[in-house]
Amino acid sequence: MANSNLPRRIIKETQRLLSEPAPGISASPSEDNMRYFNVMILGPTQSPYEGGVFKLELFLPEEYPMAAPKVRFLTKIYHPNIDKLGRICLDILKDKWSPALQIRTVLLSIQALLSAPNPDDPLSDNIAKHWKTNEAEAVETAKEWTRLYASGA
Amino acid sequence: MGQSTSRRRDDHPQIRPSHQPHPLSSSSYSPPPPPPPPPPPPPNYIYPPYPPPCYPTRPSHPIPSPPQQFYTTGSYRYFARPTYPYPPIPPPANGRWVPPSSSSSSYLPPPPPPPPPLPHVEHEKAKTIKNYVNVHKDTIRLEEDESDKDQHLVSFTFDALVDGSITIHYFAKEEADCNFSGEYPDIMPVRVSFQKGVAQKFRQPSGTGIDLGFFPIDDLSKPSDGYAFPLVISAQASSQSLSVDEQQSQPDSAVRVQITLAVIEKKNGEPYRVKVIKQILWVEGERYELQELFGRSESEPEDDNSGQECVICMGEPRNTAVLPCRHVCMCSECAKALIAQSNKCPICRQPVEKLMEIKDKSGSL
Repeated sequence: MANSNLPRRIIKETQRLLSEPAPGISASPSEDNMRYFNVMILGPTQSPYEGGVFKLELFLPEEYPMAAPKVRFLTKIYHPNIDKLGRICLDILKDKWSPALQIRTVLLSIQALLSAPNPDDPLSDNIAKHWKTNEAEAVETAKEWTRLYASGA
Repeated sequence: MGQSTSRRRDDHPQIRPSHQPHPLSSSSYSPPPPPPPPPPPPPNYIYPPYPPPCYPTRPSHPIPSPPQQFYTTGSYRYFARPTYPYPPIPPPANGRWVPPSSSSSSYLPPPPPPPPPLPHVEHEKAKTIKNYVNVHKDTIRLEEDESDKDQHLVSFTFDALVDGSITIHYFAKEEADCNFSGEYPDIMPVRVSFQKGVAQKFRQPSGTGIDLGFFPIDDLSKPSDGYAFPLVISAQASSQSLSVDEQQSQPDSAVRVQITLAVIEKKNGEPYRVKVIKQILWVEGERYELQELFGRSESEPEDDNSGQECVICMGEPRNTAVLPCRHVCMCSECAKALIAQSNKCPICRQPVEKLMEIKDKSGSL
């Protein structure tokens, strides 16, 4: 089984995530693969994603924590740094990864990214362009998508 | 290729920057711990060149061990390399450290830059040096002399494993062999003997203080010309109280002194405050500078959630300092694993030049 040699760090992180979850974030490991987490992030208040429940998947590769977790949005989201496949443009998931970071800090960073879209470093060119040319309209679209796809229903 | 070590970094594609850093990174999305200020720049002491420092070996200490004054324990500091006159600037990434176990620990000059510079990270064990007298630098105060309110007396807490003496110098500057001489001949240093004991309170005898109001604040709040410190506390272990063995082993260099260099600050209406700039240890003819380590808290007991575990495995205690940034965040195994694929400190991402494993007698930091 893939779970038999689970590093102690992953076990500890999992226990702490379950016993002391961060506000607005839940992460629980899959039953058949303890390196695969089902994640839910609530849209931050005063963001276009407020009221939304966003599902993500998080996978800890074999090299973790020397390599970053792989994280992807499963819920459709209108955000300049997230593309239509749910991939996230976030430096700490790439070259700025540090093994001192954890699942919890990664998810908090993603939650913060929802509060602060950054169209100057886009992953999704169209959305970023929309954001820069007409931010109010882009925010409306993001709210609309939140209602449509992230209502938690 | 006959590489002599396996510590050279393998190229790992995933640690190469893959795209432009996220512009938000430094503001909102970086990991929380802020990097500490870099170590202070080397001061401009100029001394004639000393012979290359070496790490002397000592016979074991027969003295019983109340609070072991290894600097790697008590206040979580480590000794910088013996400094002559001051810590050499760490060599560039392609420079080599000579391990202290060899007969000479002087630096080799950095080799000519090799075509592909491979970071080379030494992993060495910290040598512990016993300090017989330790002045707690955060406890140093200036108090008014009851018999003359204009005079200020120095007080502090200190630990002493042997008898010795404290000498207070004013406006003193360092000379060869860690001797200090005052700039003003009419202000005499004050010397007070003490007996061994832990957590002793020192208070300068009434009538021996100086009137700080006589000096402009500017003269008190910084070393004059970068040399003379307004307050120098020299805590010396008496060589007579060392065992016969130890005396014989160090005929010429029996002096062991901890020196605390401080400036004096005063804000409007507030009392004088002492600010320690650095501490030096003079042992067996070697000059060491004390530097703090980051990432260990003194107060919290060791337990699973105290944050004293290695940030990588979250299992073993932290016992390895990353140099030059001085973050203590890893156990030695994880530190070795880290530098096999990255040369960045996990906390501040500064390049790692050296790892130093720190252990006290019990095996943990």
